[in-house]
Amino acid sequence: MEFFASLCAFPVIGAALSAGNFRIEIVRRIVIAAICLQAISAAILCSPVLLESVPILRFTADFAVDRIGAYFLMLTNFVAACSLSHAPTFFRNEGLFGGKVIPPQHERLFYASALLFVLAMNFVFVADNLGLLWVSIEATTLFSAGLVYFSRDKHALEATWKYLMVCSVGIAFALLGTILIFASSQHGAISGGSLNVRELLGCASHLEPKLLELGYIFCLLGYGTKAGIFPLHTWLPDAHSEAPAPASAMLSGALLNCALFAIWRVTELVRLTEHHGICESVPVVWGALTALAAGLLLVHQYGIKRLWAYSSIENVGIMLVAIGLGSPLLFFLQALNHSVAKVALFLLSGNIIQYYKTKDLSQIRGLLQVSPTGGLLFAIGAAAVTGMPPFGAFIAEWLILAKSADATQGIAVGILLVALAVCFVAVSIHVSRILWGAPKHEISQLGGFSKYLIPSLLCICTIVLGLTALPFLLVKPI
Amino acid sequence: MMSSVDLSVLSAAVLACLMVGTLHLRLNLWMYGATTMCIALATALTAQTHAEINLICVALLIAVLKAAGIPLFLLWTSEKLNVHRDVGAMIPPPLAMHLSIGLLALSFILTRGLPAPEMAATGWYGAAAGISLLFTGLVVMLTRRLAIGQILGFLVIENGIYVFALTQTLGMPLLVEMGVLLDMLVGVMFSGLLVFRIQKSFEHIDVAQLTSLKE
Repeated sequence: MEFFASLCAFPVIGAALSAGNFRIEIVRRIVIAAICLQAISAAILCSPVLLESVPILRFTADFAVDRIGAYFLMLTNFVAACSLSHAPTFFRNEGLFGGKVIPPQHERLFYASALLFVLAMNFVFVADNLGLLWVSIEATTLFSAGLVYFSRDKHALEATWKYLMVCSVGIAFALLGTILIFASSQHGAISGGSLNVRELLGCASHLEPKLLELGYIFCLLGYGTKAGIFPLHTWLPDAHSEAPAPASAMLSGALLNCALFAIWRVTELVRLTEHHGICESVPVVWGALTALAAGLLLVHQYGIKRLWAYSSIENVGIMLVAIGLGSPLLFFLQALNHSVAKVALFLLSGNIIQYYKTKDLSQIRGLLQVSPTGGLLFAIGAAAVTGMPPFGAFIAEWLILAKSADATQGIAVGILLVALAVCFVAVSIHVSRILWGAPKHEISQLGGFSKYLIPSLLCICTIVLGLTALPFLLVKPI
Repeated sequence: MMSSVDLSVLSAAVLACLMVGTLHLRLNLWMYGATTMCIALATALTAQTHAEINLICVALLIAVLKAAGIPLFLLWTSEKLNVHRDVGAMIPPPLAMHLSIGLLALSFILTRGLPAPEMAATGWYGAAAGISLLFTGLVVMLTRRLAIGQILGFLVIENGIYVFALTQTLGMPLLVEMGVLLDMLVGVMFSGLLVFRIQKSFEHIDVAQLTSLKE
């Protein structure tokens, strides 16, 4: 009871209040308060796992959090808190400079579905039952569809429809996979079968191998659609590009991690059986190919947010390689560095779109001239996300490459190196075009520093993550 | 030996194949309702043979919400939008129907290799019916252009997965089953509302024409 209260109270109350008929300024404050309190409350809830040497904290029969889950829970709430704290500034500027009038009712609905979306993502990490994990992931799709739909124009409708259909059908295959895993547990391992993660892990070697393997493949396919693995990524650039910037930040920085976490849960299970070959080679090779495909698609991009969407697909590929290598630590490290930098970039891109009043990359020039602060932060974010030293992503990607080489995944290492190089070059070219040159038309009205507050905080975080050994001290061996 | 559960899920699979053969929306939705009713019946029969109280609740929920509620909601949507026929895409409906019957046969071959379920005493007919419904749903999604047809295809896929779970594992734990049902209902409601918005913005609900974001 206490567990449900501490996890659900703030988002649910916040969502109810923000959907209510309060003045929009009050709603904005309520949302920031609710999301920050949620982050704190989740941290307190997980503190025994995070600070002491408790490997797993059980709340009820179906809900528990282990160390990797707790880390991801913290990261998700951090990303959500940053994005939603930036959202009021973003919407205010959208009206002031972006030239769009946003009806307060739309903004209220945005906050309400955003808070429920965060709640659904929280449940992904505390669900200790593969069935409930699936239910939480599908719930994230439904609530986030409301965020993608925000601007209510033709493009947003198309993106939302595609997102809803592609992800729902994809996730349906993950349900089939979950059922197959459930069936595999009924063949003598557990009487009556179980979907409980701990019980399944406990008797992994007794699971029926054929059903388990089939289940694993279907789960990988299903959750992979949600994570945006090539060639199932088609919904991702559209949804990221059409959603308002704070929502794109949450989709990229938090939602993709949720889907990958679900893949990690099933991979962890299959690793313990005799047939672990399938959960090593398949994700590693597929992840490397995803990174390469995303890199090649990055070259010809016309939208600023589509650029970051494809770069997210590249990072999903790298994280999938880490999952295939069986290293939750590297998976988390890469997710942490990617999320922090990518959220900063999406929020900054939202500001840039407001200055230039277009998403079209060919129209955005001379950012350093228009806004030196914005340009500097944008450059830092882009460097961090491509894995340049001294930023955190460099360490994570280096370790992943080293570990794949150790695991004699030579082909994957080769593909991954090419992919990283292509991405680096493509992003550098696009970003340098944005930063230098002269703006194509007069840009006036920039507003105060408040819109750079959260992005600059995140940029400082990426530098700290890279320059100190902080991540290694924080993340105890899992 | 074929049990009554097998019989009802197989008739659901055959009904779904027949559904592919027509583009008439109203008929499609009625046939979907009949398919789902067969599945509810199969659930009730399973509940009876295995003395599972939980499954009775699930059967009732399926009969009320999925077999009656969802088709009525979609019927109301199509009446409101004044669309009665799908345009059809890729392959003509009679051919698509034969294709799905072929896939029904294929699913018998595919599921033969699966280990026999421990819990349920049924043979592999159930698994074959489930996989066949899944294929049929995919065929529906590929051969329909209207948004309602796409939703229908998704619903058939979901039915197939449910039948697979019912016959292979005696149904998932009740809590999970409820969660899945709730997610699905919210999903259908939300996409139904989206269909209204698509009609309003584009003046049609032909989702095959929504291609402005393609690169």
